[in-house]
Amino acid sequence: MIRENWRLVLLAVLVVVSTVALFGPLGAGAGGDGGLPAGQTDSPTNLQYGLELSGGTRVRAPLVGLTAEPVDLSGTDTGQLQRDLAAELNVSLSEVAVRPPTQESPQGAVEVLSDNVTRAEFASAMQANGFEVTEEDVRDGVTQRTRDQTVRVLNDKINEGGLTGGTVTTSRTPSGETYVLVEVPNANRSEVLDLIGTPGRVQVVALYPNENNTGFNREPLLDQNDLTVSGVTSRSTAAGTQYSVGVTISNPDAAERFANTMRQEGFTSQQNPNGIGNCDYVLGDGPQDASEYCLLTVRDDTVVYAASMGDLATTINNGQFVNSPTFSIGAPNQSAARQLEIDLRAGALPTTLDVDDEGTTYFLQPSLAQEFKLFSLITGAVAVLAVSAVVFFRYREFGVAAPMVLTAAAEVYLLLGFASLVGLALDLSHIAGFIAVIGTGVDDLIIIADEILQGERVKTGRVFESRFRKAFWVIGAAAATTIIAMSPLAVLSLGDLQGFALVTIVGVLLGVLVTRPAYGNVLRNIVLD
Amino acid sequence: MVDFEVPEVDYTRYTNRQLAAIPLVVLALALVVIGGYFALTGSPVSLGVAFTGGTELRVATTDSPAAIEQAFDGDVDSVTPVGSDNEYLVTFPPGAENIETQAQSAGYEVISVQERAASFGADAQQQALLGVGAAFIGMSVLVFVLFRTFVPSIAVVASAFSDIVIPLALMNVFGIDLTLGTVAALLMLIGYSVDSDLLLNNHILRRRGEFYESTYRAMRTGVTMTLTSIAAMAVMTVVSTLFGIPLLPEVGLILVFGLSADLMNTYLLNVSLLRYYKYEGIAA
Repeated sequence: MIRENWRLVLLAVLVVVSTVALFGPLGAGAGGDGGLPAGQTDSPTNLQYGLELSGGTRVRAPLVGLTAEPVDLSGTDTGQLQRDLAAELNVSLSEVAVRPPTQESPQGAVEVLSDNVTRAEFASAMQANGFEVTEEDVRDGVTQRTRDQTVRVLNDKINEGGLTGGTVTTSRTPSGETYVLVEVPNANRSEVLDLIGTPGRVQVVALYPNENNTGFNREPLLDQNDLTVSGVTSRSTAAGTQYSVGVTISNPDAAERFANTMRQEGFTSQQNPNGIGNCDYVLGDGPQDASEYCLLTVRDDTVVYAASMGDLATTINNGQFVNSPTFSIGAPNQSAARQLEIDLRAGALPTTLDVDDEGTTYFLQPSLAQEFKLFSLITGAVAVLAVSAVVFFRYREFGVAAPMVLTAAAEVYLLLGFASLVGLALDLSHIAGFIAVIGTGVDDLIIIADEILQGERVKTGRVFESRFRKAFWVIGAAAATTIIAMSPLAVLSLGDLQGFALVTIVGVLLGVLVTRPAYGNVLRNIVLD
Repeated sequence: MVDFEVPEVDYTRYTNRQLAAIPLVVLALALVVIGGYFALTGSPVSLGVAFTGGTELRVATTDSPAAIEQAFDGDVDSVTPVGSDNEYLVTFPPGAENIETQAQSAGYEVISVQERAASFGADAQQQALLGVGAAFIGMSVLVFVLFRTFVPSIAVVASAFSDIVIPLALMNVFGIDLTLGTVAALLMLIGYSVDSDLLLNNHILRRRGEFYESTYRAMRTGVTMTLTSIAAMAVMTVVSTLFGIPLLPEVGLILVFGLSADLMNTYLLNVSLLRYYKYEGIAA
């Protein structure tokens, strides 16, 4: 009995497996996976949904930058080279990266992480510094190290920015370009672009009068790497609530340097010059008087806050500060304080995403996405009904038609189980794929049914097997063509279509190997009765 | 109840030339439409945002399409209603800026925004072309391997080609843009199209039995298959259009076009080629 019906048994087993994958506590979705968008834990299944069915924002773009590789950096002062190149190319120091060879990447490389430099300019700047680099040696894109660092910082920025469940991944096109893909559920486009669109390089800069009082010195003292954040604090004052971010200087040398500069340049002295509480600085305009002592918070080369020296002077003067270098950086409002906190925690992006020139962005309102989920389910159900109607009219025999519809439905059920098992995030393209699978699935079942039912009635198992095999030739050949037709899409990075192709291919495989043979088994039981 | 029985066509009344003439004329017309469109615009079909770059915005508003067009500073490519409750799809050429902000300040509810840089679109174009080309060649090679004879194989390949070209031409006629969804549908057509062709070839070439009887048997199965698929896809098109779900209507409509073309191509073009092969090709 079981020996004859093993195909049915296999289908039943897989249906059970799918049920466990879909509803059981062991599915991929229940594992507290960090990539799970928020608000999905209360879903009745373990299925995961992509942005098109859950809402949110997706940004896909290459990283800004040019890389010269390989560059023989042996015997080169990398710091000097970085400064020279930055001066030559008229970009800031942070936009030039010199990467000496490491174990993972045995070739040295130099990167320019700016939009404003052409390959020719980069190559000639390298030549000016004594490197034999031609324009052909310079490629678009950045090194693996920069990419990894960018992805890590992006991840931190997104997930510490109150936008939970965001993911950052890289993908490579067959043409060799690498894209960074940022997906954040439940966030709108401008929120995400604000968060990731700028490097978020924060510096604390001391501003004080120069020697002959003809202008100001601006001396960068601290950056993200020197600071550890404790959190945003607020304080009510007469002028309203004041927000600030508490920080500790984690690097003793930086703390020492900071304290020294404060003392030497007069920030902490009461008279002549009077550095304490003496900062009149207008954002966007600059110092208002000839004698100002300000601690500027600079974000991406723009001053975002100017503070005067206050109580800190006491601890700096008596030497306590160097032992516990904690202070707070002010911010004009709560959101600015929050932004500063994120920037300080996540660190600066080595480079940005080139969204405007080569990127794509996508946003869908979460509420509409919820509707799409329901509506596409209804659409799928209605499509199944339409198929059932045609099949019933054609065969007029419940025993033939009902299993046909059930088998096609089982195929989709197995596919859903598969999706849930591998943690595939379902999008509209997958839904289209599911409906396509119902279509090809029923087509093949019709081939089997016609082959077995037409002509003389099947009386023996041998005749059945021979007819079934004949039907299977066509089904197998058709399945092979569909798989071949879909495989380019599965490999190419056409975004949406990859998912569609994958679902169709897996669906066809499941169909040919499991569900369609099982339907044959049902028919065998019917005709041989 | 509707009676659903595949009618038996009396093929003996028509010559091969007569049978093949209709699908070939339709294919030629389709090629003319595509060629004409190419001559006018420089691309065989009108390309959607995914392939040209630009911005696609979906907003909810009670404004009229004309008022929506006025609400934005720059050029607006098109305004099309979607779904049933005052929602519109507005497309902009590449380089348009601050679309979201403009929509919000006009009081529109932004439901979805999709933006693609022009160079990204060009890249997608190339890849889609590569994908469809590779799929088609892969399918052709497989068909030749399966049948190992020229005429039956070329019949399948020609029919699949026509099944893709006719919907492409119809896209131009109905003003449907080529999107990622329609590319997927065109590729899916390769699979669907080959299904019924393989069935026909298999029945005629690999079974014993008289030509017309084999043809009729294959037709009974094949027509049922194609009609089932057409039913599923037509329903999907209508329902998803009513619901305003993106992607699905385009996929459905292209498949309805292609599957209908497949009925014609399989049972006129393919049958005539196979009959030629069976009665004249082998003898010669």
